[in-house]
Amino acid sequence: MAAMLQTPHKDDLPETWSFLEAGIDNVMMKLEEGVDMKHYMALYTAVHNFCTSQKAVTSSQGLQAHRGAHLLGEELYKLLGEYLSRHLAVVYKESQSHAEEALLAFYIREWSRYTTAAKYINHLFSYLNRHWVKREIDEGKKNVYDVYTLHLVKWKEDFFEHVHEKVMDAVLNLIEKQRNGETIEQSQIKSIVDSFVSLGLDENDSKKPTLEVYRTYFQTPFIAATKQYYENESRQFVAENSVVEYMKKAEARLAEEKDRVGLYLHPDVTKALTETCLDVLVTAHSNLLRDEFQILLDNERQEDLARMYRLLSRIKEGLDPLRATFENHVRRAGLTAVEKVASEGDNFEPKLYVDALLQVHTRYQNLVDEAFNGESEFVRSLDNACREFVNRNRICKTTTTRSPELLAKYTDGLLKKGSKAAEESELEEMLTQIMTVFKYIEDKDVFQKFYSKMLAKRLVHVSSVSDDAETSMISKLKEACGFEYTNKLQRMFQDIQLSKDLNSNYKDHQEKTYDDDDRKKMVDSHFQILGTGFWPLNPPTTPFNAPTEINKTCERFQQFYFGKHNGRKLTWLWQLCKGEVKANYIKNAKLPYTFQVSTYQMGILLLFNETDTMGYSDIQKATALGPEVLDPNLSILLKAKVLLASPEGAKPDPSTTFTLNYNFKNKKIKVNLNIQIKSEQKQESDDTHKTIEEDRKLLLQSAIVRVMKSRKKMKHVQLVQEVIQIVKSRFPPKISDIKKNIEALMEKDYIERLDGDEIAYIA
Amino acid sequence: MATPQITLTSSDGVDVTVERTVAERSVLIKNMLEDLGDSGEAIPIPNVNEAVLRKVIEWCEHHKNDPPTAGDEDDNRRKTSDIEEWDQKFMQVDQEMLFEIILAANYLDIKALLDVGCKTVANMIKGKSPEEIRKTFNIQNDFTPEEEDQIRRENEWAEE
Repeated sequence: MAAMLQTPHKDDLPETWSFLEAGIDNVMMKLEEGVDMKHYMALYTAVHNFCTSQKAVTSSQGLQAHRGAHLLGEELYKLLGEYLSRHLAVVYKESQSHAEEALLAFYIREWSRYTTAAKYINHLFSYLNRHWVKREIDEGKKNVYDVYTLHLVKWKEDFFEHVHEKVMDAVLNLIEKQRNGETIEQSQIKSIVDSFVSLGLDENDSKKPTLEVYRTYFQTPFIAATKQYYENESRQFVAENSVVEYMKKAEARLAEEKDRVGLYLHPDVTKALTETCLDVLVTAHSNLLRDEFQILLDNERQEDLARMYRLLSRIKEGLDPLRATFENHVRRAGLTAVEKVASEGDNFEPKLYVDALLQVHTRYQNLVDEAFNGESEFVRSLDNACREFVNRNRICKTTTTRSPELLAKYTDGLLKKGSKAAEESELEEMLTQIMTVFKYIEDKDVFQKFYSKMLAKRLVHVSSVSDDAETSMISKLKEACGFEYTNKLQRMFQDIQLSKDLNSNYKDHQEKTYDDDDRKKMVDSHFQILGTGFWPLNPPTTPFNAPTEINKTCERFQQFYFGKHNGRKLTWLWQLCKGEVKANYIKNAKLPYTFQVSTYQMGILLLFNETDTMGYSDIQKATALGPEVLDPNLSILLKAKVLLASPEGAKPDPSTTFTLNYNFKNKKIKVNLNIQIKSEQKQESDDTHKTIEEDRKLLLQSAIVRVMKSRKKMKHVQLVQEVIQIVKSRFPPKISDIKKNIEALMEKDYIERLDGDEIAYIA
Repeated sequence: MATPQITLTSSDGVDVTVERTVAERSVLIKNMLEDLGDSGEAIPIPNVNEAVLRKVIEWCEHHKNDPPTAGDEDDNRRKTSDIEEWDQKFMQVDQEMLFEIILAANYLDIKALLDVGCKTVANMIKGKSPEEIRKTFNIQNDFTPEEEDQIRRENEWAEE
């Protein structure tokens, strides 16, 4: 059984208080000696008894209808506050004999003693909290707090207010020591921070902590000291070291300060601290950093560029001035690379040119990814620069259509049989790279033109490296430019697939229709049916009497074809046809030679089945070929010594006669005579350029009509703008061309000019 | 695991042993054990006699597994005059004991028990005329007729 401690008389205030004060003082000053349960309960009970003493009833006079019962406790509350003030006055006095770290130690020790006691006292006075304090607070009384909070309020008023400056000076000195590389006792600062934070009390709700005290008394002086420290340090460092070294220093300091928050500061300081450090360490020196940018680019210092990016990306608009520098730099690099290709003469390989473009792009794409974090604004600068040097460089000085032409040629080189990119995966990668350049090409219509011409050739001559590669390229273009752009390409590709089926059907048909003997006499043949609208091909420019054997073959096929598709028209593209003839007449040959020839050449050679010698005009009459086709083909046959000219060495002209060479000799059994004629090649390229002009005119006019048809009426300027929007994905239109085409359409009465610079659609 | 036991000493000097968790329904005891630790000593309860203490402990035993109630819930619970069945039975004691329990609950800081006690008293008042109430609680009427009249007028709004 526990002996009860005598508690004071409940309605005797002086007696109650002196009992309580002795107890509280024990808790405050001698807690380490322990408090026993008897005292604890006695103190709690004394508070309880005082607050419930009968005085409550006697002192309530008359009717207190609105307030309810009168609660006692105010006197205890006031006396407790006075006790705390007395205690803190002593603490303050003692503190005056300490400074710097000793002061911090003192502060922390006293704070810890005080707050521990506060927790106990708060419990001992919990009856007061539950009733009198609660009622006061509920009724909106200011400056009444629960007993624990009362402790904090008193600490702040009676101690903190007098010492915070001195304490902060000590803290800041300690932090400066650490910044200078000394080891300090961090936990001291952490404790001070915690104490400052605890003192932040919401005026309206003491249960809700605020950071106001911490911000005012800790954060503000701390930030000011930080600013000054780094201002001095960076000024001095920059004067004595290189920019690159400074960037390393700044980066290290930024990281260090960030860590500092985690070590002993309140996270609330993070934003202000980071901003201050960035201001002083980066913004203040940003011009110096930026001046170094070009130098780092020139020397390809990727790591330092990355560091600069990281630093400047953290301040407002820090990177903006770099973007223009970067864009210029990349553009110059591109131009220089092209210059190098151009300096080797006009007859460079398209690959050389495309590789030069790609190399520059790849190098700086990597830089953007690695050093600039792939940031979209730098990607945009890179794109701008690439677009500039891809479309406007020395090689395409005269016309911007050189780039797409060369790119198309390069692509053709890859997709044609005999290219060096053997591996399929390698080829695919190269096609992807082509698309990288393609993206920057402004005259996409030119690329399309050349590409479709070359595709046509690859398909007609069955010289594609693989169907998969062709399809892959077409789908890449489709992805980049849409269905319309690749529609014809796709149809061409389909035509070839359909032709394959058609030929095998035809073979079946022949087997059913003709007997073996007939078939033996026939020419082995293969046909391709090419839709007129989709292929960039023209009918032959010269009349031609095909040899009888060929004519028969064609007729048989036509019969079959029209049987299947009534009403269609077939035009024979002799200039694209080819075949093989066997030369059985040549002596000294163990095996007969086979000549690979064009149909025109075949037409010429087969004439010699009847005779050994023929005059120029006889040949022309028999074949009906125009001299522009006949002459070069005769030249090829002469050069190969299949035919011999008389007089010897004569050029093909009306006075020359041609004799079959029975003594023909060649290392190979198969002799290819079907060589493309140089002048044809040049002609083709020129033609392509010409059709581009024509196509653009049509595209512009259709765009104008389309806009006008939907708008009916609009301002000239506005029309021009909309037309630009429509066609710019194909080529960059000149405003003068748009105007010219508007005029043209007016003449054709599609549109008319109204007053006030307006244009109207004529339905 | 055996639940730790603690001993409480009533004002009339009787030791009562209970599980610590049961005793901790009293915020006073809970705080004290937190502050001082359990020294194994008996805890003196100077303001509660054995009979009342046992009664209070009985209530705490029954409610030892109740979830601790938070502020809002507290309010809601307090607004109704419903009392769960067990508590109603528990409160079927003579008036003196009833008031002793209320005082003890207030002293020991057992909010839920205090509420039950107050509700029980409230239910005793509900629906009764002033005269009946005076009779129930054995209160002498110390109002003059004039005062009584004034109060009736002031509280007219509360009646139908």
